[in-house]
Amino acid sequence: MDFLNYFGEVFSLWSFLILLGGTIIGLILGATPGLSPTMAVALAIPFTFQMDAVNGLILLGALYTSTVAGGAVSAILLKIPGAPANIATTLDGNAMAKKGEGKKALQLSFLASLVGGVLGVLLLIFATPVLAKWTLAFKSSESFWIAIVGITIIGTLGSKSVVKGLLAGCIGMWIGTIGFDDIQGAQRFIFHPSLSGGVHIIPALIGLFAIPQIIDMFLKGRSRDDMEVIKVAPHPITKAVKEVARRTRALGIGTAVGSIIGIIPGVGGQIAGLVAYDQSRNFSAEREKFGTGHSEGIIAAESANNAMVGPSLVPLLTLSIPGSPTAAVLLGGLIINGIFPGPGIFKTDPHVVWPFINSMLIGQILMCIFGLLIAGWAAQIARVPRHVMAPMVLALAVFGSYSVQLSMDHVYIMLIIGAGMFVLERYGFSAAPLVLGLILGPIAEEHFVTGAAIAQAQDGIIPFFFTGTLNLCLIAIVVASITYSVWMEIRNRKVRG
Amino acid sequence: MKKLLASAALALMALTGTAQADGHGNYPDRPMMLMVSYGAGGATDFQARIVTMTAGNEDALGMPIAIINKPGAGGRVGWNWFATQAEADGYTMGAYNIPHFIAQSIKGGVEYSADSFEPIANWGADPAVFVVAADSDMNSMADVVEFAKANPGKLTFSGAGLFVGHHIAALQIEKAAGVKMAYIPNKKGGAGAMKAVISGEVMAGVNNLSDAFRAQEAGTVKILGVADLERNAFLPDVPTMMEQGLDVDNSSVNFRGVMVPKGTPKAIIDKLAATVPTMFENSRVQGKMKAGGSPMHIMTRDEVLAMWAAREETLKELLAGL
Amino acid sequence: MQRLQTILPAAIILVLGIWVAFISFTQEPAAAYIFPRLFSAAFVGLACIGAITALLGKSSSEQGISLIDLRNMLPGVIVACIYVFWGAKFFGFYTGTTLAVFAMLTLYDPAPHTSAMTWIKRIVITACFMAVMYGLFALILNVYTPREIFA
Repeated sequence: MDFLNYFGEVFSLWSFLILLGGTIIGLILGATPGLSPTMAVALAIPFTFQMDAVNGLILLGALYTSTVAGGAVSAILLKIPGAPANIATTLDGNAMAKKGEGKKALQLSFLASLVGGVLGVLLLIFATPVLAKWTLAFKSSESFWIAIVGITIIGTLGSKSVVKGLLAGCIGMWIGTIGFDDIQGAQRFIFHPSLSGGVHIIPALIGLFAIPQIIDMFLKGRSRDDMEVIKVAPHPITKAVKEVARRTRALGIGTAVGSIIGIIPGVGGQIAGLVAYDQSRNFSAEREKFGTGHSEGIIAAESANNAMVGPSLVPLLTLSIPGSPTAAVLLGGLIINGIFPGPGIFKTDPHVVWPFINSMLIGQILMCIFGLLIAGWAAQIARVPRHVMAPMVLALAVFGSYSVQLSMDHVYIMLIIGAGMFVLERYGFSAAPLVLGLILGPIAEEHFVTGAAIAQAQDGIIPFFFTGTLNLCLIAIVVASITYSVWMEIRNRKVRG
Repeated sequence: MKKLLASAALALMALTGTAQADGHGNYPDRPMMLMVSYGAGGATDFQARIVTMTAGNEDALGMPIAIINKPGAGGRVGWNWFATQAEADGYTMGAYNIPHFIAQSIKGGVEYSADSFEPIANWGADPAVFVVAADSDMNSMADVVEFAKANPGKLTFSGAGLFVGHHIAALQIEKAAGVKMAYIPNKKGGAGAMKAVISGEVMAGVNNLSDAFRAQEAGTVKILGVADLERNAFLPDVPTMMEQGLDVDNSSVNFRGVMVPKGTPKAIIDKLAATVPTMFENSRVQGKMKAGGSPMHIMTRDEVLAMWAAREETLKELLAGL
Repeated sequence: MQRLQTILPAAIILVLGIWVAFISFTQEPAAAYIFPRLFSAAFVGLACIGAITALLGKSSSEQGISLIDLRNMLPGVIVACIYVFWGAKFFGFYTGTTLAVFAMLTLYDPAPHTSAMTWIKRIVITACFMAVMYGLFALILNVYTPREIFA
């Protein structure tokens, strides 16, 4: 209960102002396409130089939690996920906003974020010693199988046809291998000099989600039909609270999946939302409503990606191992402030670590309050007519892709991938499995190559990847998941006749 | 219309061109960028953020420096971009890591060499160290060599990648001890390589002194030897490789500094070469670097040029056999 | 026409898969292509299944892209391409974006081009939007964007 003694620090006037400011700015940055939580935190590091260690870390913690939640805003309203974590939110969130229920979608997302986020941080506070051991259990072989588990959900995610889903996944994996191979330094599939830096995930995300939408808006031409202004349905907060409380299954699956996956270094944050979304659909009584603006989809995805935040700091704080790109930046922030994470950090630097963790807890609450306040106002974006929306989204996509690395190449890649995705979408492919391939392909490759190198020096590849309880459990999940996809495909064919 | 615009643009360029022709007197007059070819949060990245934090002060450059990360393939992605696409206008600077980029250029397959860049100044030197997990039976380099001799090719040890400082140190250790070990390059760089050691996935590892120092403080690893000519101030009790009978010099020490692309105007290089080292000497910079456990080693442009040339020679020799 | 709409994309994807597989299995160093070999084999296999279903005419009917679609989207796509591949750099980001946003707004705005009110509205919308973009990217985030002819 040590952490209770340090709440005072967070509530001192100056710290609280930083926390409040960090949360609000984080929400805005998170909602800007192209600004991932990693970039937002990296941008803030120079500001922490001017503060003392505690305030600096409060700022970073507030930014981390609020940018993840802020990403949901653009995912819901613009269908552009701010970061990989928010991909799953676009599926139902945007569908709901298109029906004029943007306010409801935002409220659900902020409330689910709050529940997931707070539980995740509580897990960090109370279960860190246990979880730290769990982190180390994930070596190359286990991480490889985790990536494969993620890949197996590709087939059922968002596509009508399993074959098309898997094909989209393969295209994604191929795009993920473009560029320099990380270990050997070989140049792979670089058929144009702009590709020599590889395909960065953020411009790819923007292109895959924003561009097909823009072209879709062009498709309708100058016609006035279906131009009637969408009314944003009023949705009182009490109703949203009741809705979230009713969807305990989605909330539970989201939070559990988010916190478990969050602990696994390297894989976690990016896919927590998608895996939770897929699982909660598998266990839902209203499976067919997913993808059409169903509240369970939003709740599962958003509770998962915020539940991931707390546990993802476990390996960082106790072992100095960053579990995600954002955690890597936070590690830099800790080190610059003279704090060296390690098993003893809660004893050696409690005056810094606890205010940092507490600030994430308070930050979650502030984020939710502020988010609910702006929900009704932000949802009005749905009323912007499409001839105004299309050029604006395009400009945002260009600026966002450019600012990732100040590179025009990213802008070109964004537009071309996006145009390709538009064509694919017209032929029954969808972006979610492609993105999953793009994210998980490199992770699977990395762990396969490293694992194979270690295995060759030891007992060989087969025993390395196929022994150990955790490996076998993960393989069982892979087999179950594939069987499920095949069964679904057969059933679909029968239905289709 | 297009012609009109183009000529207007030309006129504008000529105008601004004449204003600046006389030795770039008002350089820099806008924010600058420093390209780091490793990810945000890595050792090179956060050191770069510290040493450039006072750039905006009047006694330094007077303009802030933004850090842009272009990570990938052990730095190749960033340096390729820097050699081929970065504008040589003095506003685009890059961080270099020696011996990494020189070793990669000797190995081939990249579009840069030491001749593609103009060094400005060096800020840090981070030697490679040999680490094992805290609960390992090995307590000195002699134990490591003994195990490797008894089990050729079976001793797995991690490092940040191929043809980076850690790999050079690994090659030198193998050569000096006359043993064959299994070097496992890690895609996530030093942090990933360290995780492999702590989790017991590999038996040992080569890592940055600064990261290993913190890990040892945290009680997760033991440091067995430093690949440098003398002991380090952060680790006065850890002997060098030489002291332990392994003929390993300082070729693998990771020097970090600032450079600009070839073709940057001489006047700008001179101005940077004069200002940047003093910027590194700022007491706030020094304080933050010390607090972060990062050894500083400030060198001027001439010293760096000499160091690059010397490294190129020793690395060519070392990598000739591969 | 309908058959072509399903067969053509399936064929293109099959060709892409074969190309990826060909490169993966022929390029050196082999160590760098272990993973591409694994997934490209799956890629080709799946693309074959896709192509066969398309040939047999059994793939589910999709929207496809009709000639009317093409006619409607082409002006916007062309402006977008000019903007991204040339204008943004040539005019600098802010000027280029202003021109592109205004052009697209004009192309797709259903309001009549003859009324002065519509033009004022378009100009105001573009100006307000650019002010927000400038505030966000230049002032808050301090992103240095290309401004070629205004450099």
